[in-house]
Amino acid sequence: MKVVDVVCPFCGCLCDDLVVEVCDEKVVKVENGCTLASEKFLGDHRLQSPILREGFGWREIGYEEAISVAADILLAADLPLLYGWSGTHGEAQSVGVHLAEVLGGVIDNTSTVCHGPSILAIQEVGHPGCTLGQVKNRADVVVYWGANAIEAHPRHMSRYTTFTQGFFVKDAHLARTVIVVDTRRTETAEIADEFVQVEAGYDYEILSALRAIVRGREDVISGAVGGVAKTQLIRVAEICKRAKFGAIFFGLGLTMSAGKHKNIRNAIELVEELNRHTKWTISPMRGHWNVYGSNEVFTWISGYPFAVDFSRGIAFYNPGETTSVDILRRGECDACLVVGSDPGAHLPRACAAHLAKIPTIQLDPHVNATTHLATLQIPVAVSGIDAEGTAYRMDGVPIRVQKLVETKFPDDTEVLSAIYRRVREVKGQ
Amino acid sequence: MRVLMNTGRSIRQGSYVERKNSQAYYDEASACRMHPVDMMDLGVEPGEHVRATGPAGSVVLHVLPADGVQRGEVFVTLGPYANHLVDAETRGTGMPDFKSTSIDLEPTGEDIATVAMLMEACGGVQYRGRDLE
Repeated sequence: MKVVDVVCPFCGCLCDDLVVEVCDEKVVKVENGCTLASEKFLGDHRLQSPILREGFGWREIGYEEAISVAADILLAADLPLLYGWSGTHGEAQSVGVHLAEVLGGVIDNTSTVCHGPSILAIQEVGHPGCTLGQVKNRADVVVYWGANAIEAHPRHMSRYTTFTQGFFVKDAHLARTVIVVDTRRTETAEIADEFVQVEAGYDYEILSALRAIVRGREDVISGAVGGVAKTQLIRVAEICKRAKFGAIFFGLGLTMSAGKHKNIRNAIELVEELNRHTKWTISPMRGHWNVYGSNEVFTWISGYPFAVDFSRGIAFYNPGETTSVDILRRGECDACLVVGSDPGAHLPRACAAHLAKIPTIQLDPHVNATTHLATLQIPVAVSGIDAEGTAYRMDGVPIRVQKLVETKFPDDTEVLSAIYRRVREVKGQ
Repeated sequence: MRVLMNTGRSIRQGSYVERKNSQAYYDEASACRMHPVDMMDLGVEPGEHVRATGPAGSVVLHVLPADGVQRGEVFVTLGPYANHLVDAETRGTGMPDFKSTSIDLEPTGEDIATVAMLMEACGGVQYRGRDLE
């Protein structure tokens, strides 16, 4: 059976035009998807049952026992950390926030180590953004800054920018100018009309230089800034000023390098300068398929997009203090629930070491790096393949991911709801 | 040789991200891409191993030439190998220095640890069950 208009649950593009062939409750073919999508849909490497660590070995257990063990671990903790959430649907994220509140724990999502700094900058100066549809139909200049779209979001260019026709941009490949700013000459840089190769750590200075040039103060710029010639900076600024509609997409090259959230603030303020001349927007290239959703869900329940600490009985937010890496580095949490993420692989070593020290529960369909650190892993259905739910695309548009096949695995919402019910029962609520 | 380590996504890393204990992920996540001239300075050929030492610890990687990487920098895909080197300090932002960690490289004949071995080195217990890959 062929299913059309399938949504891909891999990256923040949430491409919704895939055609998936299903046979005997298994995905056998994927059309229109990128390499990442094909691996996601066709991969079949699931952990088959919950596993519990006992000494130096592991024992397979049933779901009922797993839920009971998980609830007991969380109830016994003084400060449980509930981490991850970008790889699951909004309904599960919502249960997660309520669970964190009833436990008096901290809930944080993976934006803490991707676009957390972007959120801090947006909280300082706002977000002149737009939907991807606006970019597709209007943008004649597109900037990728610290973002390697071809490898991280392989269809971004073919669905929304360089290689797709828009309502006002008919001959897209020729009509759109693409500028890539990066420290590496990436695959994305290879197809740019203008590649600006930055010396590592100098994005802030280059953004400031561009702001000065756009303001008509090129006289204050020296011959080169951060490894980029002044002549190229002036050329780039002119292209940006001449645009009818420009869009900056930025990636972790800005959020993770020196300056972090201040880089993003400077980029947003460059957009503000450009908007004195023409129309420009700026948007983060969100990585995981529903990391934006975790920000949305956390915000509409607690008021804060990530790093929410309920230990005071109210929602408290202070990135740098209530963020996962800091909590784990300081060894403050005494239990951890990981959902839809792999902190063993993606957080610094010291964080992995603390996860190994404390009881760590993981809800994940696959054996990953965190499995080797965990006390308990509960395999769940994969949202978008054998579970359905709501996800938010990188531009904030909510899209429903479908259930394509029947499964023996419960989904994240079911497992988390069972843990939540048990916790409330024990607390007498 | 002291270099600046940059980390990030690659299409191969992304393809095998749900199979972190597979050979393909191991090959990609433990690759240290560097400028060919830096490789010559370090005295290593493609595929040879280097011991990388950073603020958080030390790990063995294999080198691959990459013209797009600037001299004095290396690129390692995000993952447990790079994170064995990155310090957990966030300077009050919540975000570690994933793209600006100074590391030292030296040629070595040592083997590259598997992901499970790295996690064991962090205090974990290797899962060797039937669904490992």
